[in-house]
Amino acid sequence: MTQPAPVGKSPVTWGVVAVLLAAAIIGTLWVPIYARSRPALGPFPFFYWYQLIWVPMTAVLLWICYLLLRTKRT
Amino acid sequence: MNHINAVTLVIVLISFLTVTLIGFASARWRPAEDLMQLNEWGLAGRGFGTFVSWFLLGGDIYTAYTFIAVPALVYATGAAGFYALAYTIMVFPIVFIFAPRLWSVARARGYITPGEFVRGRHGSQGLGLAVAATGILATMPYIALQLVGIESVLTVMGIGSTTGNAFVKDLPLIIAFGIVAAYTYLAGLRAPALIAFVKDILIYLTVIVAIVYIPGRLGGWGHIFSAASTHLKTANPATGKPYGSIVVLPAGEWAYATLALGSALALFVYPHVTTGVFAAKRRDVIRRNAAMLPAYSLVLGLIALFGYMARAVPAVNADVKANGGNAQLSVPALFAHIFPSWFAGIADSAIVIGALVPAAIMSIAGANLFTRTIYKELFRPYATPAEETRVARVASLLMKVGALGFALELNKTFSINLQLLGGIWILQTFPAIVIGLYTRWFHRIALIIGWAAGMTYGTIQAYRTPGGGQAHFGASTAPVFGHITYIAIAALILNLVVSAVLTVVFRKIGLQDGYDETRPADYLADPVTAPGPVTAPRPVATPSAP
Repeated sequence: MTQPAPVGKSPVTWGVVAVLLAAAIIGTLWVPIYARSRPALGPFPFFYWYQLIWVPMTAVLLWICYLLLRTKRT
Repeated sequence: MNHINAVTLVIVLISFLTVTLIGFASARWRPAEDLMQLNEWGLAGRGFGTFVSWFLLGGDIYTAYTFIAVPALVYATGAAGFYALAYTIMVFPIVFIFAPRLWSVARARGYITPGEFVRGRHGSQGLGLAVAATGILATMPYIALQLVGIESVLTVMGIGSTTGNAFVKDLPLIIAFGIVAAYTYLAGLRAPALIAFVKDILIYLTVIVAIVYIPGRLGGWGHIFSAASTHLKTANPATGKPYGSIVVLPAGEWAYATLALGSALALFVYPHVTTGVFAAKRRDVIRRNAAMLPAYSLVLGLIALFGYMARAVPAVNADVKANGGNAQLSVPALFAHIFPSWFAGIADSAIVIGALVPAAIMSIAGANLFTRTIYKELFRPYATPAEETRVARVASLLMKVGALGFALELNKTFSINLQLLGGIWILQTFPAIVIGLYTRWFHRIALIIGWAAGMTYGTIQAYRTPGGGQAHFGASTAPVFGHITYIAIAALILNLVVSAVLTVVFRKIGLQDGYDETRPADYLADPVTAPGPVTAPRPVATPSAP
């Protein structure tokens, strides 16, 4: 019922994935980097547009991680 | 306000009837060979691919919390409410890391709930029970939050709010909830999964139209931010301090970060989220979805800004004031005052259906937990699959009744506290579930005592926190070592410390370990076919000789 585990990826791949995932979490976890109103983007204070931009950035980072970890099915 | 707008009401009723029909019809969607398998009722046959899972998980994670509670907090206190955006950003890396392992072991071993995984992994019935009971307890206030969301829409629509009789007042809500309970009972997870399509289309439509249309009507974003800023700088007569700020102040940064992180860690161990994850067909579906679900977070961020839009409309502020300062009315009131009646009906439907879908999934998740980890484990180890399904169906009804109790008992001014209170409890199952995915270093009894310590501390601390005009359970943050912190995080740290120290002690005195029924390969498994129907009762695990 259970297939054999997929072949492990190289430590370099895992390292890259770890860095990307950590970036995706720390980007909004470290509040002092964005708890400010300047530079504003049009009427949007920095606090708002910085966080909104992290949403697509997280999606892209996770998609890269997904591609890196994807294994070909036999 | 509170006079009934016929056009809005008719559109909401039509939407509700449509999803009701879909709910009942969903029993025949992706027909099961045997609907009386808990696998089928409770996980829709574990057959959802990337596309359906995206709608299901999106429908599951983004709830009345997103549409009502968060914008209400932003409306009232400004930037502090935006932690929800940070939370829904960091939750997906967390899902990406942990969820595939949990999915694999559940698939390989036929687990339907995290409670069974914990029991099997740590060889501890007690720990499995603790996880199941916590899951049920924490889910009820979360369902209650959905009820409060629906109630806010009904209040603004002028339904049921004019009479003083509590029962008559809540009657429309109770009827709507009863209908949802009926099709959930019948169709199980298939119902919310199919309705999630309608929900998400309505939500995306509403948000896109609102973001394009409302700022123009209100004189642009510049005006919206300045109106919000003016309000937030005003001193609150109750406290003498400003209502809030447009950017988080240094004193609030720690609370902001811990609320975001604590909510993100908690979300992953909520039963309704694991239910959504377990319903996926393949391991890859989870990771692909983690990368695609942030589309909903963008929606959450934009909806949070509705709080500021509402602040810029004097008629909305008047409505909120007229209803005892209930900020949760701000978004439905914004719709009522800005949109034409027919589109207000669509937007209101989006919120109502957006609350019903997660409420259904949550009650199913709670029912699965009860059936597999409590009923079967304690009372009927040899229950047949059909009996399990019958029990789960009844349990899903009881979950809804319990949630109704929470909704009527607790303060509704800031319903976000219902979710945050659930978060304090559910996060205490994180060590047993998530750390258990990687290591069995922690001793099972140490984990139970650590859990008990975290639960006790978290509950007492939340009980002692006043806020929103009530003496107890008024807020979910408290000062810890001089910093205002989300209580869930403080309780989790206590939980981990107690578990670690006791593990060392128990190992020293040679207390016996539990039997681990899982195998390392289970955590990476990606079986093509779901585990077959369970026909034989599962063997009772016996402790192996050390």
